[in-house]
Amino acid sequence: MTNDNLNKLLVFCVLFCAQKTSIVHGAQALETKVALLLHAEPENPKCFAEGMSDLTCFWEEDEERTGSADQYSFIYTYQNENSSECSITALPAAGGKRLYFCRLSQTQLFVPLDIRVFRDDLLIHNRSLFIELVFLLDPPANLTLTSTGTQGQLKASWLPPSLKYMGDSMMYEVSYAMAGSHIGKVEEVQASSELILRGLQSGTKYKVRIRVKLDGISYSGYWSAWTDPVLMETMPGDLDPLIVSLSLIISLVLTLLSLLVLMSHRRFLLKKIWPIIPTPESKFQGLFKVYGGDFQEWLGHSTGGLWLRPAYFYSEEFPAPLEVLSEVSLGPALPSSALPPKASEALGEEDEDEKLKRVDSALEGWRETPQEHWPMDQLRAIHQHPAPWTQSSLLESHDAYVTLNAQNHSGEELLDDILEETLPLQVLFASGRTSSESRSDLGSFQQSSGLGRLSSQSSFEYPNHTWPPKGPGYTYMAVADSGVSMDYSPMSSSKIDDIGKGVIYTNEYKNEIPAHRRPIGTPIPFAF
Amino acid sequence: MSSISGLVAVLLTVLQWAGRGLPSPVRPICDPRVLDRFIMEARDTETALRGCKAGCGVTGTFVVPLTNVDFVVLETKDTEEQALEVQSGLFLFGQALGAVRESVSRAAVKSLIDNNKSNIHSLGQVLRSLHIKDLSLSPVPAVGDSATRKVSSLSELLRVHTNFLRGKVRLLLTNAPACQQNST
Repeated sequence: MTNDNLNKLLVFCVLFCAQKTSIVHGAQALETKVALLLHAEPENPKCFAEGMSDLTCFWEEDEERTGSADQYSFIYTYQNENSSECSITALPAAGGKRLYFCRLSQTQLFVPLDIRVFRDDLLIHNRSLFIELVFLLDPPANLTLTSTGTQGQLKASWLPPSLKYMGDSMMYEVSYAMAGSHIGKVEEVQASSELILRGLQSGTKYKVRIRVKLDGISYSGYWSAWTDPVLMETMPGDLDPLIVSLSLIISLVLTLLSLLVLMSHRRFLLKKIWPIIPTPESKFQGLFKVYGGDFQEWLGHSTGGLWLRPAYFYSEEFPAPLEVLSEVSLGPALPSSALPPKASEALGEEDEDEKLKRVDSALEGWRETPQEHWPMDQLRAIHQHPAPWTQSSLLESHDAYVTLNAQNHSGEELLDDILEETLPLQVLFASGRTSSESRSDLGSFQQSSGLGRLSSQSSFEYPNHTWPPKGPGYTYMAVADSGVSMDYSPMSSSKIDDIGKGVIYTNEYKNEIPAHRRPIGTPIPFAF
Repeated sequence: MSSISGLVAVLLTVLQWAGRGLPSPVRPICDPRVLDRFIMEARDTETALRGCKAGCGVTGTFVVPLTNVDFVVLETKDTEEQALEVQSGLFLFGQALGAVRESVSRAAVKSLIDNNKSNIHSLGQVLRSLHIKDLSLSPVPAVGDSATRKVSSLSELLRVHTNFLRGKVRLLLTNAPACQQNST
């Protein structure tokens, strides 16, 4: 028994609470509608229909005029019918005002309705209306936003107000804006319960709300209140495939173009980035690979290699030794091969006298031991006695000895600067002036005259082995004349090799007189 | 040759007779926009002739149907009863508009009235498509005076006409069983 009572009590409470909630809810809705109509409807009394068979009318009274509800009477009359009266209820409103309500629960549509309001038999309001033209519906329920699966779109769906016969007469207004923004767009839709919003930004949150109204053909009314806004984020932005493909194509085209440009200028670019260090390997075949850079050995073994040289060399003779003597050392002639580079360079630039002095000083500095005379004596002996000597072949009579003496026409100064990289040969070959007569058949060797400080002597001038001893330890140049071109190869005596690994300056020069004087310091191209 | 022509003649005769006698199966016209157009035209006519001086020269009284609709009562009525009301009302309006047309002199007014008359005829076709008998051409004896009233001006006539279309006729078409199958 107690259980039953408790159950009943529980059910009663639930119902009561539910009713109270609905009443509260209804009161809130009424308050909203009243506020709406106070704003939208100028006529009094303000009436609205919420459903198919009801009508709610109200009017507002100021504080000073308010009285009790009994003072008022609400008389309504349908066309061709008798008048009826509606009971009035009063509710307090904001600002001390009062609202008086009349509610009809059974109505006739599509027929004129006359309303008259009296206060103490005084007509205060008079109005004629069609009830089907004053609908004020509740906002649509269950507004939901879903994604359509397409970029920049959202689908809004809702539940239409449940009014029979009027479903196809309803008109909806959907308002959507980016969350946080006040500027929004509005779209209208008729007789539908969903709408697809297009043209939205990707990855953005949107705020959507909706309101409803009857379309005005058969039924009409006021716009309902807005629903509570619903938020939804659109799909995140995707790279437009068209843009992606276009950018890929453009980058590909640009890459190809740049590659083409690079390929067409690759030699130039390579030169700039990775300049080629010239090596003389091509000229001296086997010098570096076989003999490890030992020029002496290579010379000795490369006689046959002469034949491997470029075809324009037709040397069928062994190179004739060319004796280069130093003017300075008439007495104690010293090998000049090891002149310090500074001195040899200085030789090229200074006056003759100064040069002699310098050479002297250099040579003096270079003098090491009193043993210097020994090689000279030895060589003298060799000269006088044709003893077999490794290098004696170089002094054979049938060889052409050409000495290059650095001298003027008048002077007898010799400058041992045949080994110098720059000056002597420059002087020799740079001069544009015609040379003097060659002194031998071998010698198509041109001698410069004007500036020439070098002179040549051919061994043919000394047919009787009267080659003047120029001194010991010297470096000389062998000349091979093929009749077409001259082949010069610097050589040195073994003594000089002992004394110091001869720093033989090899010059590249052509057997020609250049048209103009080369500037000092430029090596003359030399072909072996 | 003659036998063939004779055969063709017989065939044509048979088809004509069939077309005359048998009702053609008409697709139900359930689109509410059809009636909406008629309603709008009736409203336009009413608005246009409201300011007509001296009632546009129209005198006399016209019998018009009642237009009031009580939804609670409507629920109790079946389609046939509603159809009867609609058809009798349309008949009355047809009659009244015909009489108005006779007494109106201005051409513009005449054309408007003609338009509304043709709309009423079209409504009869719509009702027939919904398998509702069209009784607009024949008087309805079942309808008594209680379902009618009298109006004395053109503007009133047109107003009632509009209300009738908006209310009863529309509700009938919306609730027609033939359309209920299609709608969700």
